[in-house]
Amino acid sequence: MAIKFEQVNYEYIGVDGTKFKAIDDINVEISDKGEFITLIGETGSGKSTLVQHMNALIKPTSGDVTVYGIKINKDFKKTKKIKLNPLRQKVGLVFQFPDYQLFEETVERDIIFGPKNFGVSDQEAKKRAKKIINLVGLNESYLERSPFNLSGGEKKRVSIAGILAMEPDILVLDEPTSGLDPKGRDALLELFMSIHKELNNTVIIITHDMNTVYKYASRVLVMNQAALVYDGSPIDLFTKEHIEDWNLDLPEIIEISNNLEKKLNIKLPSMARNIDELFEMLKEVIL
Amino acid sequence: MKNIIIGQYVPGNSFLYKTDPRSKIIALIILMVATFILKDILQILVLLSIVLVVLKVGGIEIGRVAKGLRPIMILLMFTFTFQILFVKTGNELYSEPITISYYNLLMAVGIALFWYFTKRFIKFKILYFLFIVTSIIALFTLYSPGSVITTSIIEIYTGGITGAFFIMIRLVIIVTMSTILTLTTKPTDLTLGLEQLLKPLSIIKISSEELALIISIALRYIPTLLDEANKIMLAQASRGVDFSEGKLKDKVMQIISLLVPMFIISFKRSDELANAMEARNFVPGEKRTRLHVLRWTMIDTSVIIFGVFILAASITIVVI
Repeated sequence: MAIKFEQVNYEYIGVDGTKFKAIDDINVEISDKGEFITLIGETGSGKSTLVQHMNALIKPTSGDVTVYGIKINKDFKKTKKIKLNPLRQKVGLVFQFPDYQLFEETVERDIIFGPKNFGVSDQEAKKRAKKIINLVGLNESYLERSPFNLSGGEKKRVSIAGILAMEPDILVLDEPTSGLDPKGRDALLELFMSIHKELNNTVIIITHDMNTVYKYASRVLVMNQAALVYDGSPIDLFTKEHIEDWNLDLPEIIEISNNLEKKLNIKLPSMARNIDELFEMLKEVIL
Repeated sequence: MKNIIIGQYVPGNSFLYKTDPRSKIIALIILMVATFILKDILQILVLLSIVLVVLKVGGIEIGRVAKGLRPIMILLMFTFTFQILFVKTGNELYSEPITISYYNLLMAVGIALFWYFTKRFIKFKILYFLFIVTSIIALFTLYSPGSVITTSIIEIYTGGITGAFFIMIRLVIIVTMSTILTLTTKPTDLTLGLEQLLKPLSIIKISSEELALIISIALRYIPTLLDEANKIMLAQASRGVDFSEGKLKDKVMQIISLLVPMFIISFKRSDELANAMEARNFVPGEKRTRLHVLRWTMIDTSVIIFGVFILAASITIVVI
C-alpha cells in the first residue's frame, strides 16, 4: 500500500491552549494503482487536514502515517537519509486556492517550478509544461502570460498544471472544481479520469458535488466530525447509508430515479449511473 | 505558527487591568521622563525597587517581564561592555596592556568561528558566548607571538562600572514599564487609548481616528496573514520547496515563492476589506460611536498622581 493511516489523530492547539481535534482515529489504506477516490464530508470535517498528511506536510499528533515506506509520526525528524521531497513528488497535492502557489512571472515558469525542484531538467520540464497546458484546457499562448492577470478559473487550471507537471503517482486535489463553470468542471473531471485511465494511477478528489462522486468515483471516503465514517463504493453509500446524518445529499440521478419509482409505482432493476441508463431502464420497465 | 500570541496581553485581574489605557500611557510617559532625569545609581536603584513593587502588587510574574527583556539582551551587553571599557572617571581598578598581532588575531577569528559552529549544541548560549569573549580577551592580553599590529591598554575605572550598571538598570526599567503596559492592556484598548490621547493632533490636520484605524486593522490581520503564510508554505512544500534547507540561491527562491503570494493575497484582502467597509457605509473621518467607551475612574486618578509624585520627587532630588 502506498499510503497507510494507522490510528491517526491530529489536533490543532488554539491561542488559549484549547485543543481541537481535526481528525480522529483514522485508519485507511490507499494504493497508488487504479483507484479513483472521492473524499466528501461537510465543511470543517477534517478533509483537508487528512490529505495534508498524505504527502507529509503535517505530522500526526498520534498514530502513524506510512507513505511509500516512510513512517511519519509525531517523533519523525527529517534526516540526511530520509527526505520528504521524494514523497511530495510521488503524492502531488493541489491546494484549494491557486493564490497560495502562483508566484512566478510567467505561467510556464510557474508550471516548471515543481518539476525543477524535484530535479527535472529545464528542457524536459518545459516540454511537460507545453503538453500539460493543453491538457488542462488552456493553450500555449498562456505560457508567456503572467499568472496574476488570469481569471479565477484559469488560475485554478494553471495551479493544477503545476502539480500535474510533477507527474505524481497519486494525485490529490482539494476541491479542484470550485469556482469553475459547469462546462469547465466537467472537462477537468474528464481530464482527471483520462489521466487515471491512461496511467492507471490513483486520483483523490475532495468535493462537495455528489454527482461527481457518483459519476466518477470507484471508492468514496466520508468524513464526519473528524472521523472517517464510510469507506466503500458510491452506490452502497447512496442506497444503504443514512447520509442525511452526515449532511450529505443524493446525486441528482438517484433522486430522480427514487422519485420516479415512487410516483410511477415501479421498481427499477438497478441504480442508473447516468441519464441514458435511466432512460433505457425505464423503457424496459414500463414498456 | 498557530500558537503565536498577538501582542503580549495576558488576562488578569489586578488594579493594572482596571486602569484605563489612557492613564496607563500617560503614567508610562511621566515615569520614563523621571527615569531620564535621575543621574545617580542609588536613585535609579530606588526607582527599580518601586517598579518591582508595582509588578508584585499588579500580580505580574517576573518571568513574563524577563521575556520582554530578551530582545534587548544584545543591546544591554553592548552598552555594558562599552561603558566599562571607555568610561575613564573615578579610581582605576584594573589595567593591562593588550597586544594584537597577526597570530593571535588569526586565533581569535578561529575561536569566533568555533563559537559560530558549536553554539547550536550548547545549552547555555549566553554563558557560552561570555566564555568565548573572555577567552578572546585573555588571548590578546596573555599570548602575542609574531609581528605586532597594534598595542593598547585595557583600563577599568569605578566610574565605568557604576556607569555601566546605571545605564543597564535604566534600560531595564524602561523596558519593564512598557512591558507592564502591553501585558495588561489589550491591543484594541491600547489603540483606543492612543486614539483618544492623540486627538489634539487634529489641530495640525492629523486624524487620530484614522491612525487608530490603521493600527487596529494591522493588528486584526496579523493572525489572518500568519495563517495564510502557513498555507502558502504548505502549498509550496507540496511543490518541492524545502524551507529548512538549501543553498543561498535556493533560499532566495524559497523566500520569493512565499513572499509573492503573500503580497498578492494582502492586496486582495485589503481591496475586499475596503469594499466591505464601504458596503456598510463607512466614511473616513465621520463621527463614530463605540461599543466599549473608556471610563475614567478613581484608580486612573491615583495612577496619574502616583506618576506625577515620582516625577516631582526625582526632580527635587536631582535639583537639590
